[in-house]
Amino acid sequence: MQRRTRAFTGLFLTAPLLAFLLLAYVLPFLGVVRWSVTLPEPGFSQYRKLATDPLALAVLIRTLRICALVTIAATAAAYAIAYVWVRGTPLQRRLAELCILIPFWISVLTRAFGWLALLSNRGLVNTWLQGLGVLAEPLTLVRNEFGVVVGMTHFLIPFAVFPIASAMQAIDGRVLLAARGLGAARLRIFWRIFVPMTLSGIVGAALIVFVFALGFFVTPAILGGGHSVMVAELVYLHMFQSPDWGLGAAISVALVLVVGLLMGLLFRFARPAGLRASR
Amino acid sequence: MHQAFQQDCLEMLAGRLERGEVSRRRFIQAATIMLAGTPFALRSTCADAADKTLVFVNWGGDAIRSYDQAYGQAFLRQSGVTVRQDGSGPTEGAITAQFKSGKPTWDIVDADPFSAISLGKRGMIEPIDYRIVDRSKMRRGFGWDYAASTYFFSYVIVYDTSRFGDRAPAGMADFFDVRKFPGKRSLYKWGAGMWEAALLADGVAPEKLYPLDLQRAHGKIAAFRPHVVSYWGGGADSQQILLSGDASMALIWSTRASVLEKDTNGQLKFTWDQGLISPGAMAVIKNNPAGADTAMNFIASAQDPHKQLIAFELMGQGPANPATDALIPADKKRINPMDPANAARQAVLDMGWYADNYGAALEAYTRLISA
Repeated sequence: MQRRTRAFTGLFLTAPLLAFLLLAYVLPFLGVVRWSVTLPEPGFSQYRKLATDPLALAVLIRTLRICALVTIAATAAAYAIAYVWVRGTPLQRRLAELCILIPFWISVLTRAFGWLALLSNRGLVNTWLQGLGVLAEPLTLVRNEFGVVVGMTHFLIPFAVFPIASAMQAIDGRVLLAARGLGAARLRIFWRIFVPMTLSGIVGAALIVFVFALGFFVTPAILGGGHSVMVAELVYLHMFQSPDWGLGAAISVALVLVVGLLMGLLFRFARPAGLRASR
Repeated sequence: MHQAFQQDCLEMLAGRLERGEVSRRRFIQAATIMLAGTPFALRSTCADAADKTLVFVNWGGDAIRSYDQAYGQAFLRQSGVTVRQDGSGPTEGAITAQFKSGKPTWDIVDADPFSAISLGKRGMIEPIDYRIVDRSKMRRGFGWDYAASTYFFSYVIVYDTSRFGDRAPAGMADFFDVRKFPGKRSLYKWGAGMWEAALLADGVAPEKLYPLDLQRAHGKIAAFRPHVVSYWGGGADSQQILLSGDASMALIWSTRASVLEKDTNGQLKFTWDQGLISPGAMAVIKNNPAGADTAMNFIASAQDPHKQLIAFELMGQGPANPATDALIPADKKRINPMDPANAARQAVLDMGWYADNYGAALEAYTRLISA
């Protein structure tokens, strides 16, 4: 009985949010779905076009490739940061905290331009490397896919830290002590005990990063050299520049389906630490 | 293309205000002209429109909005006509939606001439009334049926003298020649002007550009792609690409080019040779709420050369009224895209061609650069 009351209270408390999402997101999105099957004429022609359109396919494949690279890089970096944050000395923990929080206060635009300033031909990195005599000609580090991956990884690391840190915090320290007592070396404890116990956090972090990365717009636009690098820019192009709302809508719907599928997998198999209700 | 250009002018202006190069008063004046034509002149022409509101739809910008308000109230006091600025952006889609609603709430839009022409052909734009708007205050060929030119800018070559020494590119052939002028290039993301540049480089005579041979232009651009480091989408972006040394040459807006030349003390230089002139315009939505006459009076008021001079001084936009050219001080004539000496070296984008072909051409161009 009490359980039911609690469930009801929970629903009651979240109702405004649900109503807001319904009005501000679900309903308009249904409009987008409608465009995708009615513009310019009723039917699924836009989806057929999407499946055979070389530009859309090239951009989709590039999007998936960039997102996969970013996911691996961001999750790995976040794991190291989360480890220091959870298990470091108080000073290390404070420093890690700053490293995680400060990027949140700086706009995504500023950070993208920051990377431009660092990595461009007359940027700090190239100037130093040339000054040290390592390079004769500047390396092209931005306005290409490499630049996009660097910028996106930097942006997404903090989002990956939280689920991983939460999984690390949930580990009972006595388990590690027990492993130690039984004679396991530090590396062995890390790989055989610690990492497997944080696996749900890793999967959760990776999925959050991947899903977030799929919709990136500003960072690839600035660091990617201007042409439509990723799928969100392609949607923008079809919506605003070469008005073809049907195709733009079809791409949006396809993107949402991919994200939905991934989220479904996430909740079904991974039960990620960061997204699990605390008990 | 023009949407971004308009925003860019306001962005540059806000920058100058911050650095104290422009007084706040001057800034409000200029923003007002940019956003609402030249409303001061409306005092006389629209005295009969006492309780009317005129909605001018432009491309917005956060920094500007508060100034709009300052202006809007002042204007109401002075003339009794409330000019309400709406920064929601008159895209072709939005204008279509306005018209199709049956009861448009917009009066005047700041639009690309070719957009206005193509929408006008579909009956959504009021024809310009040349009994009110004065054709003699326009350059020949820039008073279209559905759009009145309000300013000009150009796509010009900017080059990095630290890379080329005394050598300067003489036109598009040099721009596309990386052996003669080594280094990367940057092109405009939204195609306009780039097709013309490619064709000029390929040896097409300026007067024989139209109708554009898109296949030939795209062939030239496709072969050139490895040398293009970036396709810029906005003015700040284009400036950054050159300043960072990522490109040794770029085709950018003349408004930004003159700023670059000044700010780098001539390390970056621009040339008018084979520049591509592009007009901006105002258009009136069919069945606009304030009535066509009020809107036309408004457009006519923006033809005043003295107002256009202010717009030129602050934003480097070429004046639509040729009478303004003479008012420009001698040391500034170099940066006026429409100065006779400069215009003679350039070619003009044909808005009629763009009205019929821009959508398909841009689609093909985007495919080319994004694949």
